[in-house]
Amino acid sequence: MHQPLALQPLAPNSSTDIMAIANNPVLWICVAGVFGVIIIQSAIFMKAARRAAPAVDMSTQDIRTSFRSGAVSAIGPSLAVSLVAIALLGLFGAPAVLSRIGLIGSAAYDVSAAGIAAGSMGAKLGDASYTQSVFAVAFFAMSIGGAMWMLATLILTPLLRKGDAKIRSVNPAAMAIVPAAALIGAFSCLGLTELPKSGIHILSFLVSAAVMGLCLLLAKRLGKSWLREWGLGISIVLGLSASYLAVGPAIGA
Amino acid sequence: MSSITSAPTTTHSNAMADFSRTTSRWGQITMIAGLLISVAGPLYLVFATGLDIGPAQLWIAFAAVAATFGIIWIVEPLTYYPILGPAAMYQAFMIGNISNKLLPAALIAQTNIGAKPGSKRAELAAVVAICGAAVVHLISLAIFVGLLGSWLISVIPPSVLLVTRLYVLPTVLGAVLVQAIVSMKQPRTTVFALLVSAVVVFVVLPLVPSLAMVSTAIAVLGTILLAWFFRGKNTITEAKPIHIE
Repeated sequence: MHQPLALQPLAPNSSTDIMAIANNPVLWICVAGVFGVIIIQSAIFMKAARRAAPAVDMSTQDIRTSFRSGAVSAIGPSLAVSLVAIALLGLFGAPAVLSRIGLIGSAAYDVSAAGIAAGSMGAKLGDASYTQSVFAVAFFAMSIGGAMWMLATLILTPLLRKGDAKIRSVNPAAMAIVPAAALIGAFSCLGLTELPKSGIHILSFLVSAAVMGLCLLLAKRLGKSWLREWGLGISIVLGLSASYLAVGPAIGA
Repeated sequence: MSSITSAPTTTHSNAMADFSRTTSRWGQITMIAGLLISVAGPLYLVFATGLDIGPAQLWIAFAAVAATFGIIWIVEPLTYYPILGPAAMYQAFMIGNISNKLLPAALIAQTNIGAKPGSKRAELAAVVAICGAAVVHLISLAIFVGLLGSWLISVIPPSVLLVTRLYVLPTVLGAVLVQAIVSMKQPRTTVFALLVSAVVVFVVLPLVPSLAMVSTAIAVLGTILLAWFFRGKNTITEAKPIHIE
């Protein structure tokens, strides 16, 4: 039952050994490159901030405090992101996960982009139709999505810096409604698309959704914001545990 | 806020102008580099490993993603700019995980040094705090995902790996959908989104399977139109940063 149904015509290269190409050395080099760029950027920005600090009444101690506060407050969220990333390793391999989910993008957008891209080839992530070609196109779709975010930032930031009132005075009602509608519309359609695939898809979807709802509720009731940060990771782990228990006997685990 | 409200006074205008110039130039250079490197990897896979993927397939995949998230690509930088200020924009949109990690980091740093929101001190504190967050982020990714994660994958029973691969997508999407609904706080839009999606997935697709490629785009467009034409009178709230992590 968990066995995926035979699917549409497979992509030309029908090998499903994703890890064989997902761990290509060139991809590891690109990950190192992205890490390097962020390190260089941080170093340049730190230096610039240090130089400007005295002029705005900011002591060396203030700089140190700011850096340490930023670092300490990032520990929890970074570990939460790592948990989500580990859960996706089996699907995308370490280089893609490190460069997509860990940096630039986020699990929600990148997993969605990958799913959409696979769908555009008549395939589904993770099952027998998930060939090397599908992985490559999905990885491309995730990356180009992240690139578009950066492109928008590169174009809009200089315009906004000039205080371009036109961009900011977009109809506030439209700004409140349209993006939210786009997001909820996208994720509800992507989510519901998973349901007809199998009973276990439905189970894992529902368990994960319920756990997330519970995490958010408790976060609000008890004022524990770490529950919000860890919500996605906890939901994925419990959702996958539920599906493992459901299929366990079938695959002789 | 920070970028516009505080007109620089003569005492520190030079130092801050220097800061703006440096962060703007190097922010752009590093971001373009990050952009190119991150796209280079998949392009190498597609074209240099003999996978036989045509450009058409890439364009179709791109179009399908753009139709779904294109609006978000533009709206997100717009809504974050007043909070982050120009310098931090280049950091935030390269490092990612903005709302759940970088914004809290910046706010805590500002509080800890008693910087008034919107002031130049606050702007610098945010940039420095994001640097600190970036360091922790890179280290934890390298250790927990790069090293520990790769080792975990190698020792995990194949059955667990198989289950993970097959069902991680619905688990991510189930949680993210709830997260989106709760954080957007727009019940009317939520109802429209679920209705439109249900019609698309359970009625339209079974009838016209060839629409699978554009189903999400249809749902997005349908939800936007319904939410816009049937918007309540009091929905005109301030445009808040929208971000799902």
